[in-house]
Amino acid sequence: MPIIIISSDAVQSAEQIAKATADAVGYECLGREILPEIAATNKVPVDKLEEALGKSSSPWRRMRAKRRSQLLAQIEAHVLDRLMADKIVCWGLAAHLYVRGVSHALKVRLVPDSQQEAGRIAKQRGVSEEKAAKLLQTDVRKQAQWSQTAYGLNELDPTMYDLVINLGQIDPDESVRTISGAVAFRKFQPMTYSIKCLAENAMAAKVKTKLLATMNDISVQARDGRVVVTCKALKRERQKKAAAIKALAGQVEGVEFVEVHLINYVIREAAESFR
Amino acid sequence: MSQPLEILLLDDEPIVGKRLKPALAKIGCEVEVFQDPISALARIDEKNFDIVVTDIRMDEIDGMQVLERVLAKSPKTKVIMITGYAMIALAREAMDKGAFDFIAKPFKPDDLRQVIAKAAAAIGSPIDFTPASYST
Repeated sequence: MPIIIISSDAVQSAEQIAKATADAVGYECLGREILPEIAATNKVPVDKLEEALGKSSSPWRRMRAKRRSQLLAQIEAHVLDRLMADKIVCWGLAAHLYVRGVSHALKVRLVPDSQQEAGRIAKQRGVSEEKAAKLLQTDVRKQAQWSQTAYGLNELDPTMYDLVINLGQIDPDESVRTISGAVAFRKFQPMTYSIKCLAENAMAAKVKTKLLATMNDISVQARDGRVVVTCKALKRERQKKAAAIKALAGQVEGVEFVEVHLINYVIREAAESFR
Repeated sequence: MSQPLEILLLDDEPIVGKRLKPALAKIGCEVEVFQDPISALARIDEKNFDIVVTDIRMDEIDGMQVLERVLAKSPKTKVIMITGYAMIALAREAMDKGAFDFIAKPFKPDDLRQVIAKAAAAIGSPIDFTPASYST
C-alpha cells in the first residue's frame, strides 16, 4: 500500500490532518512522537532532534551545520526504515525532503490560512496581528532557508508535491477526504521499482549516519547493494579516509560493495601549503 | 500447477530474451520471446497470454502502447514493464494505465521470477518459487 507524507509550515494542522487521514484510510500515523525513540537509539537529547527539524534563528556556524547534519541523518535513517512497512501517514519529520524517487509516496503540502495563523501567533506570543503577520513571514522564509541548506530543496516549491491544499479554502475534513481519495489512485500503488527505491534511500541514510559520526561533507547513494560515497579529503589523507569509509559503510546490513569518490579539499590544501 | 504459465517477453535487446527465457523456464513457464514490437503485437492479437513482460523504450511502438493494446484485448493478462530509464513519472504512468508491476533494469533473473510468481498468484495460478532455490 502507498505511504502518505504530509508537510506544512503549520505543524498543528499537519498533525491534525495526518492523524485524521490515517484513521480514514486505516494506516499507521508516524510523527514527532517517534523522536524519543530515535533519541534513545542514537543516544542524543530529544530537544536536539526537534531543533534540527526546526527553524534556525541564526546563520549556521560550521560546527552547528555538522551537528545538524548528523541529527537529520539519524532521523532520516529511522524514518525511512519505518516507511518500509508502508500503509503509513508521515508528518513533521521532513520526509518530503528525503523520500526521493519513490512513486508510491503521495506527497502533500498543506498551505495554512495566513490570517488564521497570524491570529494564532498573535495570541500565543501576545503581539498585534500586524506584528504576528510579519513574524509569520519571517518564519516561513527561515523554514525555506532551512530546507535549502539541509537538503538543497526549497520546500515552498509546489512542484515538489503531488497535492497542495490551501487550508484557507479547504477545511480539515475536506482535506482528509481529498488526500484519502488521491491515495487510492492506481499510480500511487507500490511496485518493485518504488519499493527498491525506498529500500535504497534507507540503506544510503544508514551509511550516511554511520559515516557522519566521524566525518562531514558526505554524500551517499545506494543501488543494488552497491554504495557510492562522495567525500572531501586532503591529498595526504586520501588512502586512509577511503579505507575508513569502506570499513564503516561495509558494516551496514545489505551493503555488498562500497565505492569511494574523494574530492580534493582545495581551500584547505591551499591554506596548508602557505603554512 | 496444472497448466504452465504462458508468457510473452518483448525487449529489443536480444540479450534480455536470451537470458530471461531459460530463467523463467526454470519455474515452469512457457516463454515466447520477441524483439520487434510489431511482431509481438501480432502474436498478442492471436493469443491471450497469462503474462506479458515488455520493455518500455523501443522504436516504432513503445511499451506503454503495448500495455494498452494487451489490456484492451485481454484485461486478465498481467503486464510487467521493464526499463533502463526508470523515473517516478514513467512508473506512475505505467501503473495508472494498468501495469501489474514495474521493474528498473538492470535486475537479477530472481527479481523477475519473484514478480512473475506474484502475478501468477494474482491470476489464480500460483507457482512454487523460493528465491534462494534457483540460481541465475
